[in-house]
Amino acid sequence: MNRKFAPLFVLLLVASLLLAACPAATPTAEPAAEPAAEEAAPTAEVAEEAEAAPTAAAAEEDAHPGEEAAMAKGLTELAAAYHGDYEGTIVTMTGPFTDEDAVKFDNSMAAFEEATGIDIQYEGSKEFEASITVRVQAGDAPDIVDFPQPGLLGTFAKQGKVVPATVMIPEAWLAENYLQSWLDMATMEGPDGPAQYGVWQRFNAKSLVWYPKASFDAAGYPIPTTWEELQALQDMIVSDGDTPWCVGIESGAATGWAATDWTEEFMLRTTSLENYDAWVLGELPFESPEVKNAIESFATIWNDDSMVSGGRAAIVTTFFGDAPTGMFQDPPTCWLHKQGNFITSFFPEGTEYGVDYGVFYLPGIDAEYGSPFLVAGDIMAAMTDRPEVRAVMQFFSTGEGVKGWLAAGGALGPQKDVQLDWYGSDLERDIAGLVNNATSVRFDGSDLMPGEVGAGSFWKGMTDYFSGAADLDTVLAEIDASWPR
Amino acid sequence: MATASSAKKIKKTSKLGPILINGSLLLLILIWLLPTFALLVSSFRTRFDIQTSGWWSIVPHRAWMTDRVIDPDPNWDRDGVMNIEGAQGTFEEFRNGITLDNGTRVFWIGNKRIGKVEIQAYKWTSNFNFTLENYGQVLGGKTFEVRQPDGTIKTEQADNFVGAFLNSLTVTIPSTLIPILIAAFAAYGFAWMRFSGRRVLFVMVVALLVVPLQIALVPILQDYVRLNLNGTFLGIWLAHTGFGLPLATYLLFNYIRGLPRDILESAFIDGASHFTIFVRLILPLSVPALASFAIFQFLWTWNDYLVALIFIGAKPDVQVLTMRLAEMVGSRGNDWHLLTAGAFVSMVLPLVVFFSLQRFFVRGLLAGSVKG
Repeated sequence: MNRKFAPLFVLLLVASLLLAACPAATPTAEPAAEPAAEEAAPTAEVAEEAEAAPTAAAAEEDAHPGEEAAMAKGLTELAAAYHGDYEGTIVTMTGPFTDEDAVKFDNSMAAFEEATGIDIQYEGSKEFEASITVRVQAGDAPDIVDFPQPGLLGTFAKQGKVVPATVMIPEAWLAENYLQSWLDMATMEGPDGPAQYGVWQRFNAKSLVWYPKASFDAAGYPIPTTWEELQALQDMIVSDGDTPWCVGIESGAATGWAATDWTEEFMLRTTSLENYDAWVLGELPFESPEVKNAIESFATIWNDDSMVSGGRAAIVTTFFGDAPTGMFQDPPTCWLHKQGNFITSFFPEGTEYGVDYGVFYLPGIDAEYGSPFLVAGDIMAAMTDRPEVRAVMQFFSTGEGVKGWLAAGGALGPQKDVQLDWYGSDLERDIAGLVNNATSVRFDGSDLMPGEVGAGSFWKGMTDYFSGAADLDTVLAEIDASWPR
Repeated sequence: MATASSAKKIKKTSKLGPILINGSLLLLILIWLLPTFALLVSSFRTRFDIQTSGWWSIVPHRAWMTDRVIDPDPNWDRDGVMNIEGAQGTFEEFRNGITLDNGTRVFWIGNKRIGKVEIQAYKWTSNFNFTLENYGQVLGGKTFEVRQPDGTIKTEQADNFVGAFLNSLTVTIPSTLIPILIAAFAAYGFAWMRFSGRRVLFVMVVALLVVPLQIALVPILQDYVRLNLNGTFLGIWLAHTGFGLPLATYLLFNYIRGLPRDILESAFIDGASHFTIFVRLILPLSVPALASFAIFQFLWTWNDYLVALIFIGAKPDVQVLTMRLAEMVGSRGNDWHLLTAGAFVSMVLPLVVFFSLQRFFVRGLLAGSVKG
């Protein structure tokens, strides 16, 4: 008998497994959009409270200081959140932060979550770009998405999947707390014309040259402040028998992105900002003399075996994270490395800023174009419109929204109300100083271009050119041809 | 003559045959085992060693080893000919190393300003510097020190492998059992039951074999959103079941169809129902096919990244092993040295499954190869 019914038991077991999973299914998804009437309610409530705020705050013991501050900035939902109106609500987020970045992000949100009772559930994934496209198409978008590449956000904005930031945050506050160029970079074509989609939470600086400080001092090399001084330094290093630059652009499937950063730096330094913007939008083709000139002006360094550690052949095969290790050998095999501020996580353990390594601004070439600064960053865009989502978005638009991360290191804050003493390390404080000195700020062009180019043919084209597989004219024509029209 | 020559031929081939077979087997074994061995060695090496030298440097070999280091005399003429430790040459020659008659080599490292001169000897050496730290970080989770706005340092422990390992098991075991169960019933029905539309239905199932699962991601996710199934284990079990069913049905159909007709017919005559035949005859007889498909499906769901990424996502409480492994390399790939250890931990279970089921596997490989 037992043997006969064994398969039935298996069936029952499976069925019970299925049943066991069912209750777990229900609490996962929050209702995506709540009635609009409900949304308006807390706003009105807060407006009432605002009048009584001073007395109420004094009377209520646990009134959060952020409430008044938010009120003064016109951020009604944020004030209501600090008042505790949204306690117990959940705001889901998706983005590329994993591992250390995820820990730092959670950490910088902890104080806000504690004060407001809003639970921010961040789901970071390495393949974020792939999964978010599927999830948005399937109607499974989280409340807020963190885009490191505004180009991708632009695609969703055009489809009308994103709630414009100006709907959620008073325009006057955005204008007050961000430089105009940040607001411009968040402005994208929507279904009803251009609008600001998303707010910038943090950014990374790119126009930085790293050098081994201890060895630099021992050798008596000067820190260049102009392009001529940088060239003189290069020649000095070459005549001493070393290669000045550490360059590596290998990065698996993304090989070549480091070369696009160099192209952008030299675009900013050899031609006008208007041309740069037109190039990013696809109006100025890659084959134009301006772009070609920009690439050639750094290719003279890269193509010179005496200028690059390992010679030109090593550029394409060196992992971008391994490229700077030559600077930390004793004595160094290469002396200069241009990369964003994140590269410090690849520096050997135990090396210290100001002792083992230092950083300077990659100087401008032509006085006419000033000293531009290339940046990249994370733009937070809302996919749903609920009061607690508004509160979180408003929180991101204030310096407080990135304060915890600034203390932990590894990020810079684009908001104007960020104080320099919030930075936890001298390195980021110094970089923030360098950015403040810049005459213009531009976003990483390849991240703004359509994915086919900015994360495809541009990377591949630069790799082909520097590996010697194709000449520059062919490469530029190919990139132009791949631009979706 | 003819017989003699053919006999000679047979003798010749019979000698050559085993050599060819054994030789190619050996080659295959090397091709498979060498990278695995390299991975194993690398997983015990330190981060610095992994980045600066290959795993083969653990094998004793001869290399130039530094005996002593001297600081260059500032008075030496770096742009002319220098005389260091009995060696004579220009700066460029010293940078490439000048070997003396007594077997030592004078080597200049660094540039003219802050260089050093190493006196080296050619010696036997091996890099036997092993550590368990990689496994410690993989199994115990990385620790991060996060500075707080008030200046204090908070230590955060990142997620370790254990939770992800259990999640992977939770996903994999039902995702293997459910399709096998359904497919075995279906295969029996297609093979031995007479009903109208049998052929059409079977062709449809087989046709699904060529449909790539990627095109089903968005529609299925849309349905899951409506049913509140996304992000749940039930959702991914059903997804894996659906994606695995066509192959499972086809494979088991061909096997079950090949079972001797006589046995089934005598069972029918004895009055057995379809269910009795399936349970008492078909299931015991098709264990090899079931086991080999179980291996396929287990390995596929265990190593799956895409389906898990879309249907259950990366939240730590449901995250599977492959996703944890991908995150382990760090925010910007800066901890890729941990991948070797992580890969080994994730390989353990598939290896156990394979070796425990492998005696069925070879038999099962023939499943469906000969149609009855």
